[in-house]
Amino acid sequence: MLILQVLVYAVLIGGIYALLASGVTLIFGVLDVVNVAQGAFLVFSAYLTWQVWVSTGWEPLLLIPVMAAVMGAIGWGIYRGLLVRVVPQGPGMTVLLMFGVALILEGILNVTFGTTFKSVTPDYFTSSLKLGGVVLPYPQLISGVVAFLVLIALWAYLRFSWAGKALRASAQNADGAALVGISAKKAAGYAFALGAAVAGVGGVLLAIMYPIFPATHYEWIARLLGVVVLGGFGSIPGAAIAALLLGTMEAFATTYIPQWAPIFFYGTILLILVFRPQGIMGIKTREDVA
Amino acid sequence: MIEKLKSPKTVIPIALLALLALFPVIVPDSQYEESVLIACMLLAIMASGWNLISGLAGYVSLGHTVFLGIGMYTGAILGKQWEIDPMYLMPLGGLVAAIVAILLGSIVLRARSHAFVIITIAALWTIQLIAQVAKPFTGGADGIVIKPPQWAKEMGTTPYFYIFFAIMCLTIVLARFVMNSRLGAGLVAIRNDEGKAAAIGINTTVYKVTAYALSAVPFGAAGAVYGQYLSFVNPLGAFNILASVILVLAALVGGRGTLWGPIIGGFIIGMANEFSTVVASGAAARVLVLGLVLVVVVMFLPAGLLPTISEWSKTRREKSTAVKFIDQTSIATATERVDTTAIQSRVIQDRLEGKYLLEVKDVVKTFGGVRAVDGVSLGIERGSITGLIGPNGSGKTTLFNCMTGIYTPDSGAVLLGGRDITSNRVWTRAHKGLGRTFQITRLFKSMTVLDNLVAPLERTSPGEMVAGRYSGEEVARAREILNFMGLQEFEKQPAKALSFGQQKLVELAQVLMLRPSIVLLDEPASGINPTLIEKLSSVIRSLNEQGTTFLIVEHNIPLVLSLCSQVHVLAGGKVLTSGTPEEIRNDPLVIEAYLGPDASLEVPVD
Repeated sequence: MLILQVLVYAVLIGGIYALLASGVTLIFGVLDVVNVAQGAFLVFSAYLTWQVWVSTGWEPLLLIPVMAAVMGAIGWGIYRGLLVRVVPQGPGMTVLLMFGVALILEGILNVTFGTTFKSVTPDYFTSSLKLGGVVLPYPQLISGVVAFLVLIALWAYLRFSWAGKALRASAQNADGAALVGISAKKAAGYAFALGAAVAGVGGVLLAIMYPIFPATHYEWIARLLGVVVLGGFGSIPGAAIAALLLGTMEAFATTYIPQWAPIFFYGTILLILVFRPQGIMGIKTREDVA
Repeated sequence: MIEKLKSPKTVIPIALLALLALFPVIVPDSQYEESVLIACMLLAIMASGWNLISGLAGYVSLGHTVFLGIGMYTGAILGKQWEIDPMYLMPLGGLVAAIVAILLGSIVLRARSHAFVIITIAALWTIQLIAQVAKPFTGGADGIVIKPPQWAKEMGTTPYFYIFFAIMCLTIVLARFVMNSRLGAGLVAIRNDEGKAAAIGINTTVYKVTAYALSAVPFGAAGAVYGQYLSFVNPLGAFNILASVILVLAALVGGRGTLWGPIIGGFIIGMANEFSTVVASGAAARVLVLGLVLVVVVMFLPAGLLPTISEWSKTRREKSTAVKFIDQTSIATATERVDTTAIQSRVIQDRLEGKYLLEVKDVVKTFGGVRAVDGVSLGIERGSITGLIGPNGSGKTTLFNCMTGIYTPDSGAVLLGGRDITSNRVWTRAHKGLGRTFQITRLFKSMTVLDNLVAPLERTSPGEMVAGRYSGEEVARAREILNFMGLQEFEKQPAKALSFGQQKLVELAQVLMLRPSIVLLDEPASGINPTLIEKLSSVIRSLNEQGTTFLIVEHNIPLVLSLCSQVHVLAGGKVLTSGTPEEIRNDPLVIEAYLGPDASLEVPVD
């Protein structure tokens, strides 16, 4: 029964990882930027959620669209104000810039909220659904389901809407897309905003599931990079599969060998980037020496 | 030498270092100030070490404190075992860090750009996790407590001050040595264009791994001392991602790729770090300040202080002396026959055997379902100028890439002088006597023409790597080749100031520095004017008379037919026909392959 319990839990967690990683992979696909600040976006949104919940007592889940909009706007601002000017300097500098952004966000949270753990605890926080012998805590269950729904909506949007097609066109060939009237800068700004908005949604889910702390953004970015690398940079379905795989491994590891749990993410990054740089279904991002 | 010592570029840093060395004497009993300066020196040491791989070779590592941590743990673990002060294990710390860097580097340096950055972070986290879990050796998350050293308490931090000062000076010496060596020149070439660097004989793998290992040494050495200075080692402190980013920030502020930039940056960021901790009264806001500084530097000072200042003073100084205009015709009419013994010397000691210098046998290369090269066999005769032509999509370029080592064929073999080179790396082929040029020239744009010519390497050896950048007969030989090609006027010009056609000539000159037995030219005439095509033909002819074999892939059919003694025609990935220019010119199959039926390929004969 324990195995089934862990498995169900793993799928729910996997869904959340998949959603969060889809933002990173989307931004990479269109901008060629590894957004190491995605973890910080996530934690930032979680703190905003906590603040609203503490001051108003509103149901946190209702904040999902608000947080998506807020983080989307912040993301768009970061792209237009900072990132757009650094992109031509290449990947090393964009990673450093986004690291700087992550530190700024972490610093703001440190100064504003202090360095103690905060938790959002709505009334369903401690209750759980019992299905047979499997116990599903409501926060995990709700978050997992919401994550899957948002992920599917995002995927469908990118797949079928005109804007989504424009983004994918720009991701594949920015110059070609420009020739048919898609502004690369607009597409990039839009993609970055969308990626940040996904972190906004994720932040709400994070807030009702775990205690939050500013420096936890490192753990999150480590997980997300692991998922994105395994799934293949730029591929949302790849990220979904990778998230389920890694979520499962992490869930079992946490149960049986807790101290080794993070190794799956770190080790995956090392092994995949060295031996199969295109991941499960992404494009080949490792440039090899000619 | 004396003059060099007197230049302000040498005097100012040495004076500042001397001043720093005297600090504990001038200001005695200043524990706090000393501790701040120690932090600055540690940062300077790390930034300077990082600069060797990330500044020179352009491989940005964001996990370089992994080597500091390895030095700390080496000191702590072995110091306990052997019952000595960890700081005396400083050389061992450097050595262990170098060994780990060689092992890690041979894996992680296969990746480039984004992937490399992410891998370095992941490697740092992985080793941090191992340090946490391997409790029997590392004490787990609590780490290891280190006893203070034996010296008298009254001495305070001053002995540490001088130890870090010494490590910093040694690091500067190491960095200076690397930058002035062939290794340093090769690393800069790798940063500019790694594929090109390989094509001119630079063993990029060995160079990168060597630079990675050397960059780890100052970290490891400093780590052994730093652990004892802190009096404990734990995984979170030793393998710290934030510290990794701060040291990168230090190198960035001062100026990547320069000798003194990372040192200056270390002091600036070290002071700023301390200042923000004091002013913001705590570590919480320090993160905010560091983030802001990082963003501002990346946005507004990406090149760093030193390069920005030197660029600024240079433009002020050189306002009046613009790039010198050089008349095209001076190249065309330059003396064509000068003493070319230097260029010949390789041919004289030619080790290659057989009738065919270069041969491909049943080479197949597919991309997905497309058989781009479909079982091609052909040979390039010793002493010939051979042409390889064919319509677009016929497989010329793919075959060319199989010969030069960019691609490995799916099956079949490539032979150089009768020896199988199918699986040889690009630089090995260059060492064995196969030189190549590129269709779109790939010179090192910011380097001068002369620097471009002395960059090629004829072998990979430790001696070659530590040799001075301009030592040996290379410079003299480079000048001879430039003279021979009528390019002597351009010696000091940056390659990017030359026209495309001139760059093509320089690239050929660069290949000749390898003393190749056979030179493969990839569309040499495309995109250059008729005068230069003429010049190029005459250079090729006279080199050929002296014994160099050529293979030319070209769309300019008149040029191929007038220059070559033998022509191979590819179509649909197969050899359509081979023969003399006369035979090719009249072959209806060739005409049909190129232009479809009912066309003619009449070309004027000079």
